[in-house]
Amino acid sequence: MNANEKYAVVAKDLTRKFGAFTAVDHVSFSVSRGEIFGFLGANGAGKTTTIRMMCGLLLPTSGSALVAGFDVFTQAEQIKQHIGYMSQRFSLYEDLTVLENIEFYGGIYGLSRKQIRRKSRELLAYLKLEDRANTVTAELPLGLKQRMALSTALLHDPEIIFLDEPTSGVDPDSRRQFWLLIYELAARGKTVFVTTHFMDEAEYCQRVSIMQEGRIIELDSPQNLKEKYKSESMQSVFLKAIGEESS
Amino acid sequence: MQRLLYLIQKEFRQIRRERMFVGIIFIMPIFQLILLGFAITTDIKNVSMVLVDEDHSAFSRKVEESFAVTTAFRYLGAVQNVEQAKQRIKKGEAQLAVVIPYHFERDVKSGKSPGMLILIDGVDGNSAGVIAAYVGRVAERLQKTWLPKSGLSPIQIKNLHLTELRTRMIYNPNLKSVDNIVPGILAILIIIITSFLTGMSIVREKEIGTLEQLMVTPLRNWELLAGKIIPMIAVVFLLLNVGILAAGLIFGLWIKGNLFSLYALALLFSLSGLSLGVFVSTISQTQQQAMFFAWFFMIFSILLSGFFIPIENMPPLIQLITYLNPVRYFMIVIREIYLKGTPIIYLWQQALAMTVFGIVMFVLAGLRFQKRLG
Repeated sequence: MNANEKYAVVAKDLTRKFGAFTAVDHVSFSVSRGEIFGFLGANGAGKTTTIRMMCGLLLPTSGSALVAGFDVFTQAEQIKQHIGYMSQRFSLYEDLTVLENIEFYGGIYGLSRKQIRRKSRELLAYLKLEDRANTVTAELPLGLKQRMALSTALLHDPEIIFLDEPTSGVDPDSRRQFWLLIYELAARGKTVFVTTHFMDEAEYCQRVSIMQEGRIIELDSPQNLKEKYKSESMQSVFLKAIGEESS
Repeated sequence: MQRLLYLIQKEFRQIRRERMFVGIIFIMPIFQLILLGFAITTDIKNVSMVLVDEDHSAFSRKVEESFAVTTAFRYLGAVQNVEQAKQRIKKGEAQLAVVIPYHFERDVKSGKSPGMLILIDGVDGNSAGVIAAYVGRVAERLQKTWLPKSGLSPIQIKNLHLTELRTRMIYNPNLKSVDNIVPGILAILIIIITSFLTGMSIVREKEIGTLEQLMVTPLRNWELLAGKIIPMIAVVFLLLNVGILAAGLIFGLWIKGNLFSLYALALLFSLSGLSLGVFVSTISQTQQQAMFFAWFFMIFSILLSGFFIPIENMPPLIQLITYLNPVRYFMIVIREIYLKGTPIIYLWQQALAMTVFGIVMFVLAGLRFQKRLG
């Protein structure tokens, strides 16, 4: 098995500057297929910039990255066929109904009418939304919207899923439900790349990296990190890691 | 292609659900027509004119000279006959033709009213009225300063009128300013709607985050653009027809020329507005910004279109700048087709200019509109 097949994402010295400001500074990491990979960091640490470069939304200033075996510099469009993406901002059309949203995203991912009908049925059943299929999305509770947004971002069955703070603003129960969905995806062999600033969520990841001021300062499994920092929780690991760096 | 259809379907669903669109399509044109239709008058300089001298006498040359030296007119020279003069007006090269009839000198000398024929392009009703008044003033001056020196008796002079304003308008016969303003409003509506709505609709998706979502799908750039533009064309088409109906029902002004020519050229013109909207969306992060930028461009394109202020009245430098304004061309097109019934072949220059602007602006906007952030 060569590196390309083992890893879903490989980044090397990835850098992005905005004018004089370096948002992401020589970041390197690899994510194995089927792994849940967490990206921790305070706001402005460079998590979102990194994830956007992975998705082909932002061109890196230097360095290299392969996503699903495609180069982020030259093959951004091929990458898009193989990834699902959900940002912290809401990605559904609130003025369309649940069914119309599914139909739309299915359509632009190139699914046939038949596939869209089948997927819609599955999805509505999974989200227990059968009787609200024709409700305008704006009327759904936030947690449900978020799970629905993730589901629509996965209509084309991508191998790699990028989630940029997917659970911000959601109540704890909805967050738990959302993570159950992430686990299911990983169990089906999907690679999940998730940024968060909820430290309890970091515990659910197989490996986490901690970012500060554009650089990765730690990258290991939560277990190893807790041992290294002699901490009980990721919360204190995070605080210690960041404190150590800045002192 | 399938992806594009889904995009268009989505846009139409959103438009249908958005109450604002009903107002924009049905109420806005009617209100603007009524309000602006009665509100605007204009003033004239540099009227291009030709002259037909059938008499070739000392008197007729004197008349020619006095028109040529008047600053209000730009004298383009003499033409052979009335037919040619009409042709020049029809092509839009001249706004005024003065015809000095055969036996002009003889009639004046024998004290008969000579009956000079004055042809004025009435497409722009305000201008036409003012031009007629200018012609009257030139004639009056001739009468006062020159006739007394021409050897006629004072009684003869008193009974003589060089021009008698018995105007028969060929186009826009009633010379109503409304007739001129109304097609102009339709032109303005098209540019406003295309640029504003396209810009706002893209920026709105930026604001709510769905544009970012669309950017990570395999949608191509051109599909994303076409998916925004095609529904807007449908909206504008509907609005144009509401405007045409309203103009007919409220002002009794119905289109003289070919409706399909107007549709075709309006479509060509819309391309500039749509591209402007796309461009605005690429430089705006919020709908407020988009609104501001769109207005910034809109003010210039309306003021420099010849809608309120005739372009001939502007300083030469500004006149040159108006050539960069797509609205300028469509303003001519819609007035010509609406009021004169000018066939589309005479409007090829305007059509060409709009095509060039449409394509250049579309390409530039399309290049700026990339599936990337930052």
